[in-house]
Amino acid sequence: MKAPTKLPIFSSYEFDSRFYDEIFTDNSEVRKVYETLFNLFSEYSVDDFANLNDKAKDAFFNQGITFQVYGDKETKEKIFPFDLFPRIIGHKEWCKIEKGALQRSKALNKFLWDLYHEQKIIKEGIVPIELIDSSVNFLKQMKGFNPPGEIYNHVSGTDLIKHSDGDYYVLEDNIRCPSGVSYVVGNRDALKRTLFGVFDHYQSYNVSDYGQNLLEIIESVKPKGVDIPKCVVLTPGVYNSAYYEHSFLAKQMGVELVEGRDLFIENDFVYMKTIKGLERVDVIYRRVDDLFIDPLEFKKDSLLGVPGLFKCYMKGKVCLVNAPGTGVADDKAIYTYMPQIIKYYLDEEPILNNVYTYHCSRPSELKYVLENIDKLVIKPVDESGGYGISIGNKLTKEEIEKVKITIKDDPRKYIAQPIMSLSTHATYIEEENSFEPRHVDLRTFTLLGKDKDFVLKGGLTRVALKRGNLVVNSSQGGGSKDTWVLKK
Amino acid sequence: MLARVANNLFWMGRYLERSEHIARYMNVNYFSSLDSPNELGQSRQFVLRSMLFVADEEELKEHKELDEKKVLFDIGLNPEKQFSILSSIKNAQQNANGARDLISSELYESVNTLNRVVKNYDKDRFVKNGLFDFTTMITANVASLRTKIRSTLLHDEVYAIIMLGIYIERANQVIRIINSKYNDALVEKANSGASVTKSYEWTTLLKCVETYDMMRRYYRKIPTSHTVLDFLILNPVCPRSIMNSLNNIQYYIGFLSKEEIPNKDSAAFLIGKLKYDHQYKTIEDVQENLKGFIEKLVEDLFSVGEKMDKDYFSLY
Repeated sequence: MKAPTKLPIFSSYEFDSRFYDEIFTDNSEVRKVYETLFNLFSEYSVDDFANLNDKAKDAFFNQGITFQVYGDKETKEKIFPFDLFPRIIGHKEWCKIEKGALQRSKALNKFLWDLYHEQKIIKEGIVPIELIDSSVNFLKQMKGFNPPGEIYNHVSGTDLIKHSDGDYYVLEDNIRCPSGVSYVVGNRDALKRTLFGVFDHYQSYNVSDYGQNLLEIIESVKPKGVDIPKCVVLTPGVYNSAYYEHSFLAKQMGVELVEGRDLFIENDFVYMKTIKGLERVDVIYRRVDDLFIDPLEFKKDSLLGVPGLFKCYMKGKVCLVNAPGTGVADDKAIYTYMPQIIKYYLDEEPILNNVYTYHCSRPSELKYVLENIDKLVIKPVDESGGYGISIGNKLTKEEIEKVKITIKDDPRKYIAQPIMSLSTHATYIEEENSFEPRHVDLRTFTLLGKDKDFVLKGGLTRVALKRGNLVVNSSQGGGSKDTWVLKK
Repeated sequence: MLARVANNLFWMGRYLERSEHIARYMNVNYFSSLDSPNELGQSRQFVLRSMLFVADEEELKEHKELDEKKVLFDIGLNPEKQFSILSSIKNAQQNANGARDLISSELYESVNTLNRVVKNYDKDRFVKNGLFDFTTMITANVASLRTKIRSTLLHDEVYAIIMLGIYIERANQVIRIINSKYNDALVEKANSGASVTKSYEWTTLLKCVETYDMMRRYYRKIPTSHTVLDFLILNPVCPRSIMNSLNNIQYYIGFLSKEEIPNKDSAAFLIGKLKYDHQYKTIEDVQENLKGFIEKLVEDLFSVGEKMDKDYFSLY
């Protein structure tokens, strides 16, 4: 359907009624929350938008909100494409998301405690033991260990989509080192620089309080006997694609950004090497994956970690955020048990929907999957970044056969879900000088500390920039939008 | 402050200061040679040699006959040459990136923006007719960056480290520029028998460090080797003099120095010694053996850098 407007900037906006369009209803009306913004946009010409788009790009490059892409010959600096049309989430709609995201994070935290202690949920037959036994992310070293404040997933990112029925569904929980929050703030800044005229027409929540809350959360899990904890952010270094985010978080919290080589261990205490000698470190918000944090305990050739760090952690001399071993619970196979996990630990009904999932490890479900690949999305359970995903209705006959063979080779490795219809949102397309509908998702950020929690009122709306594409990851060419949560 | 990050900040300061001096040296020498009072001074080869001498002495040894466009490109925008302004700005940006959490967003954004502008600068335009615009842009931007450093950072250790980088590099560049112009004056003398004392090169020298007008105000006389060297080496109120830099270096090392009475092997001790040595020197002492004086100062500044490395940066 054509967009119900004569505005030239919407000249090539054609939306598909199979998907939920965030801007227009099927009756060709502009949705209520977008009316004001839509009217404001009508005052801009096509050239204005092209100009603003260039300005926004410059703003990102100049601020160094970039990531490196490594090619054969040279390293290129790239920006995560930013879109001029913000996403608006109404107040009521948001309240449900916020409660739901917090509920999931809390349930996952209790689930992790149980997995690394009595494993009651397994003994009661609610989650099958095979899922844990076969998971490479289950760290035996963590068994029986009590993390400070009893918190495992201090920082969680929940990925949601809006389906064609207009309701939100959770696609994934991320509780290892979820990234993207710096873009939430960066996008807001960029939109303020470019479209400052639109802000006073909406009352939306500020997103710049994330750093303050993150600091309070990580200070709340300080080791025993420490009065004012010294916190640091641990980064793999300037060449990491998320380095901007690491430096952003350190700066927002006013703490040091350290690399593994800046840390030093003596008598099970962690120190950093400063110009005035060694200084003790109490809490490490590490943005280095589990297997790389300590070459003595995990990957022996890791240069990113600190030899002996894990032992200090086990002895309670330092706190690691998130705790090692959280990966066992955000695996795509565990995801399918989330409704039961929430019910078991919190005795509550899940607030947010889960997508129905077929486990290829179960023979009857494997049969259904093999017969219906064209209607399903096939995902490996242990890959991140959108890699290894096959979307059934985009495959040729030969490709379907290939996928079948891959699944049959190692059924435990795959799950399948119905193809979800990600909603579409107006996105500025440079080549067309026009807004066009593109698929979007939403990542929210939840913090858990000792007697404290926080959900960032906003989120990262990721956009699949290629027409018809459903994969929104930045590593697969996705962009993002500023996301407003309305106060009323 | 982390030792690694301190090292980044120190070098950010050094590279920024370096790029400014090289840019100004190119600008002033090229444009003042156009109306130089003697034939040699107007000769393009003479000017290009002088520029390359300040940018990188070693490079000069490899070439007999210099090609103007190549020399300008090498010093200005050649990414392959470590001594180019482009490389200096790039190094400053990379060091700023490594210390990004400690410096203000305003400072980081300005360094980053300058790096982007230099990286994308039109190379053909630069060597054809962009020398003035480019070098003026660099000096203006570095000056504005120094303002950001001064006015957006806490005046604490972070600031002191950057200022140490700036002043050590300034002393280093100014003494090398003095050396270069002194050599030029000697070449002129050998070539035409002109007086070294009254050479036009001393005026160019003052302009290279933006102190011509103030020197005239201070001495009210036409510059001679005697007054210019006194002004640029020993006069503490001249903002680009060696003495002024040494005073600042000693002031800022005080922010970092661990002991009240520094250990005799430390950077702080050597800096104090250098400062007082120079404070009680006369210009006659300096001129007695100018070449030797310059070489000794370059060596001493190098030792200061080495000792700073050992005292503050080598923990990582």
